[in-house]
Amino acid sequence: MAENSQTPESVTLTIDGRAVTVPKGTTILQAAEALGNRIPHYCYHPGLSAPAQCRLCLVEVEGAPKLQPSCITEVQDGQVVLTESEEATRQRTGVLEFYLANHPLDCPICDQSGECKLQDYVHAEGRKHGRSREPKRVFGRDDFGGDILFYGDRCVMCTRCVRFMNEMAQDPRLTVVERGNRSIIDTFFEEGVEGSPYAGNIVDICPVGALVSKDFLHKARAWDLDHKPTICPNCSQGCNIDLHVRDNRVQRLKPRANLEVNQYWMCDYGRHRYEWMNRDDRIESPVVNRSGQPVPSDWSEALEALHGRLEEGVRPVKAVASPFASNEDLAALRHLVDALGGGEIVYRLPRADREIPLPGFPRLSRRRDLAPNGRGAEILGMERVGDDEGAGGLDELAHYTGTLVVLGDELADLEADFGQQAALYIYVGSHPSPAASQADYLLPATTFAEQEGTFTNHEGRVQRFWPGLQAPGLARPAWLVLGALAARMEGGGVPTSAAEAFVQAAELAPEFQGLTYESIGTRGAIINEPVALPGA
Amino acid sequence: MAYPYTHEKEVRLLSRGWGDPASRTLEGWKALGGYEGLRKAVEMSRDEVIGVVKDAGLRGRGGAGFPAGVKWSFMPKEKKGPHYLCCNADESEPGTFKDREIMRWTPHQMIEGCLIAAYAIQAEHVYIYCRGEFFETNEIVGRAVEEAYEAGLAGKDILGSGVDIDVTVHVGAGAYICGEETGLMNSLEGRRGLPRVKPPFPAASGLFGKPTTINNVETLSAVPHIVVNGAEWYRQWGTEKSPGTKLFCVSGHVKRPGNYELPLGFPLKELIHGVCGGLREGRKLKAVVPGGSSVPFLNAAECETCSLSYEGVVEAGSMLGCASVMVMDDSTNIVKQVRRTVDFFSHESCGQCTPCREGTTWLARILKRIETGRGTEEDLETLLDLGDQMTGTTICVLSDSAAAPVRSSIEKFRDDYLALIRRGEKVGAA
Amino acid sequence: MSDETTERAPFRNPGWAGNTGEFELSEDEVRGRSYVGEHAPEGGHPSRVPTVPYMLPEKDPEAPLFEGPYAERFEKILSRYPNRRAALLPTLNLAQELRGRVSPETMAEVAQLLGLSDAYVRGVATFYTMYNKRPVGRYLIQVCTNVSCNLCGGDEVLAAFLEHTGTEAGEISDDGLFTVMEVECLAACGFPTAVQINSRYFENVTPDDVPAVLDRLREEAS
Repeated sequence: MAENSQTPESVTLTIDGRAVTVPKGTTILQAAEALGNRIPHYCYHPGLSAPAQCRLCLVEVEGAPKLQPSCITEVQDGQVVLTESEEATRQRTGVLEFYLANHPLDCPICDQSGECKLQDYVHAEGRKHGRSREPKRVFGRDDFGGDILFYGDRCVMCTRCVRFMNEMAQDPRLTVVERGNRSIIDTFFEEGVEGSPYAGNIVDICPVGALVSKDFLHKARAWDLDHKPTICPNCSQGCNIDLHVRDNRVQRLKPRANLEVNQYWMCDYGRHRYEWMNRDDRIESPVVNRSGQPVPSDWSEALEALHGRLEEGVRPVKAVASPFASNEDLAALRHLVDALGGGEIVYRLPRADREIPLPGFPRLSRRRDLAPNGRGAEILGMERVGDDEGAGGLDELAHYTGTLVVLGDELADLEADFGQQAALYIYVGSHPSPAASQADYLLPATTFAEQEGTFTNHEGRVQRFWPGLQAPGLARPAWLVLGALAARMEGGGVPTSAAEAFVQAAELAPEFQGLTYESIGTRGAIINEPVALPGA
Repeated sequence: MAYPYTHEKEVRLLSRGWGDPASRTLEGWKALGGYEGLRKAVEMSRDEVIGVVKDAGLRGRGGAGFPAGVKWSFMPKEKKGPHYLCCNADESEPGTFKDREIMRWTPHQMIEGCLIAAYAIQAEHVYIYCRGEFFETNEIVGRAVEEAYEAGLAGKDILGSGVDIDVTVHVGAGAYICGEETGLMNSLEGRRGLPRVKPPFPAASGLFGKPTTINNVETLSAVPHIVVNGAEWYRQWGTEKSPGTKLFCVSGHVKRPGNYELPLGFPLKELIHGVCGGLREGRKLKAVVPGGSSVPFLNAAECETCSLSYEGVVEAGSMLGCASVMVMDDSTNIVKQVRRTVDFFSHESCGQCTPCREGTTWLARILKRIETGRGTEEDLETLLDLGDQMTGTTICVLSDSAAAPVRSSIEKFRDDYLALIRRGEKVGAA
Repeated sequence: MSDETTERAPFRNPGWAGNTGEFELSEDEVRGRSYVGEHAPEGGHPSRVPTVPYMLPEKDPEAPLFEGPYAERFEKILSRYPNRRAALLPTLNLAQELRGRVSPETMAEVAQLLGLSDAYVRGVATFYTMYNKRPVGRYLIQVCTNVSCNLCGGDEVLAAFLEHTGTEAGEISDDGLFTVMEVECLAACGFPTAVQINSRYFENVTPDDVPAVLDRLREEAS
């Protein structure tokens, strides 16, 4: 066996006949996962302690007298593990039958249907026919407050939710009450979990339909949802999330694992702010203001006209950007402003009065900056103005007489005469607003949810996101629109992809240098952090 | 003095003093030679104390039969922080009623054993986890501990040895599972009494995460006798693998139920028909549960030759457990008693492991159906199969314990089940 | 204070093991009352304080947690454990001693005293059967029906208690005196049927004994 040892820190074992080498201290379940073998389990969750109580992940380990819980059994050198042996399979089938003795077969009306681990496991390894003839236990439904409903009958008593509240939220408002077959998850009578800022995660980690979101209740079937990876836009933490989309509408947000940013979690503040992505009031086509008369146009006409206008020569430029815009969009704006002779770019950013950290993983916090890319704007030399509501600070600009470019900021606090005195007013954005009505050129942009791009989070981590929704009408990513204009002014290349737009951003900001979409990957990369070269 | 029955075959070491109110006092216990063991122990090295208990072969009396001295030797020799001793006085295995008798008649016997064990394993605090229902008994134990403090036998510098050992009487609040050693520790820590996954074992990380040894009342009560008289003396009773005497708790259909202290290896047949005066008139033996509700049934034939030692009962097809001999004559409705046993386990399951939480209740419901004449032959196969699925698959053995009587009774008394199934009649009480 | 030390005429089954005629002890000697002594209000030596929920004849659901000697007992309990959590069971016992049950309000107050969450305390309190989550009569009569007692008529003794108190299991009798319920093995299997009434064991109880037992309790209560 000695030759199995790669280094003192690694261990080689065999799982179902396949050798795998993993670091010492790895559990069998994790080692199997490294081989792509997902051993069924409920109580184990990688972000929580492991009580080894569901007994579903038991596997055969040669030499052990009994089946071993793979979630807590550490690998040993030369260990031979069988996850598909007759005994291990029989164990899983048996445990699943025990669950079904009381679990209601209400899949047709259960929100979890389609992404339910009980459904999946029973389908794979359950008995063809259940043997229970006994009446089922009935607990009924309980409102846990906030967004959370609890269907006790569906609960498999994995206690993930209790452990999340104890270990991660450190707000021990959930517990198991009673014992044995009468035990059930509950709060302190009517107390509930309302106001606990990370409580929504217990719905995510519930392997069955016991804990469900009121917001999502009966809204969509799991199999109708597309999962679109993106970054939460609701603060500068940059939680990795998925948009769950049906019919081109976001139905809910779910966290996507990134151990360095948000582990497996996201806050409720972020989770519940997605409706704006579904807004129907959109700028759908370019609008050119011809002597006070807004005329809908198309891109080639609008850009041609705008280009012509810019060629005529412009007055000094000032711009307003949005911290909800991507690095690429912001860089394209910076590029254009520079091409027009340079000028100040400001942005406004709503700021909460405090952070809301997740106590069990304080690197994750609902940050004070309530936008995803203030840091990107800062890197690109933009200046923050306005108050903590994300308003104000534009009084001077409202009456600016030079060239005014606005990217993304809806200017909701400003009057319809905003930019009236500007020599040229270009508005690039997604949603119509009174303050955009004076724009000479109103150009429809996609939201972050409709485009590819990157945000730079509070700690300087550049993270990619991907389009999750189809853009309405003629809306285009701002980097494409502004990049094309800048290129024509300067004679440079027009970016044809977000990746190229990012390369152009890196040319403007030394912080981004050395990063590419490839190196950022799905996990993000910290700016100015040395990147290990392959083979180094 | 006769408490409540005695028999000439008994060897009364631990039960000496029972039935005599004087023996529960410190003075009375000393008159019986009490605290000589502690006095002797603190003059010995810790290893010597562990050695004599090891040599005596004293096995754990709480059910598992693990050698006590060996258990003590697992404790770290180098003390890096607190060590604890838990005395398991949460007696609640159905059929078992010996620890309460030790505690209410000779509490100092147990306390002396605790102090010796604590000395041996360098425990600075002994927690005696008493069953909550034992109000009267617990008060007696509490008073005895207070007496021990007053006499300098507990607390600071016990018997001038320079060793400090605190003793606290802690009471449970009604949960069988707290008799499981790690369930007990969780309960003592103020938690739900859920058994813990092992490893880590208590000697590495037990009560409050510190090295801990846990022993049953009867085990600890035997220790003073062994320390005073030596290993060889103790081994004059019992068998090679099961040395010493044992308290046999006999209940059910015998004329003289009660506790009898006998050498291990005593014949079961003689216990029932001799010591306990036999069955009621006109009745025949049907079944015996020899070690508390957790162990398999023996049928009458198996009882004929069963020797009451740890190995002897295994050979006969069951387990000695805590030597709680429940005797059932031919008037017994076996199915009803099995159902009652499984009801108990269902009621007492802590609920963390799926096979136990769901399985115990499921078994109980099927058994109830059979008992009330609504069973089928298929149910028997389901019972056996569910029992298999509950055996060896959970954190503690409560699940196995619920399955054992079901399996053994179906194997040995299948006709009783079939009679109920085929008649389809509701049966009366046993 | 105690309802257990009153001297009275010999009772056929005074509540100890045996009942064989060979066993000449007074009830007090069997129960160890004189050895234990009177209940010290502040509980005596700290080592024994967690031992004792005294069975008070009268409960006060509004009693404060904790004042006077009870505050002293609470402090003594805390002194026996390395952290406050470990004092939870004894503290709940103390609260139940005063108030007769563990209500939601009591759980919350105990949680506050020990620095635990309310939900946590509820989780623990509901795990253990001896905490009365609902009110019970002055005498809680718990009849063992587990196997050893069952073989010797435990079910019939339970039925007799229900019949003679005129209650269903778990109910409080009209006079407020009795609540009868089934209990798991009381570890008195050699002396069936075992019955626990508040803090006292009554052993070798037969259905015929039940009226006399109830009479005795009524008399004690009057």
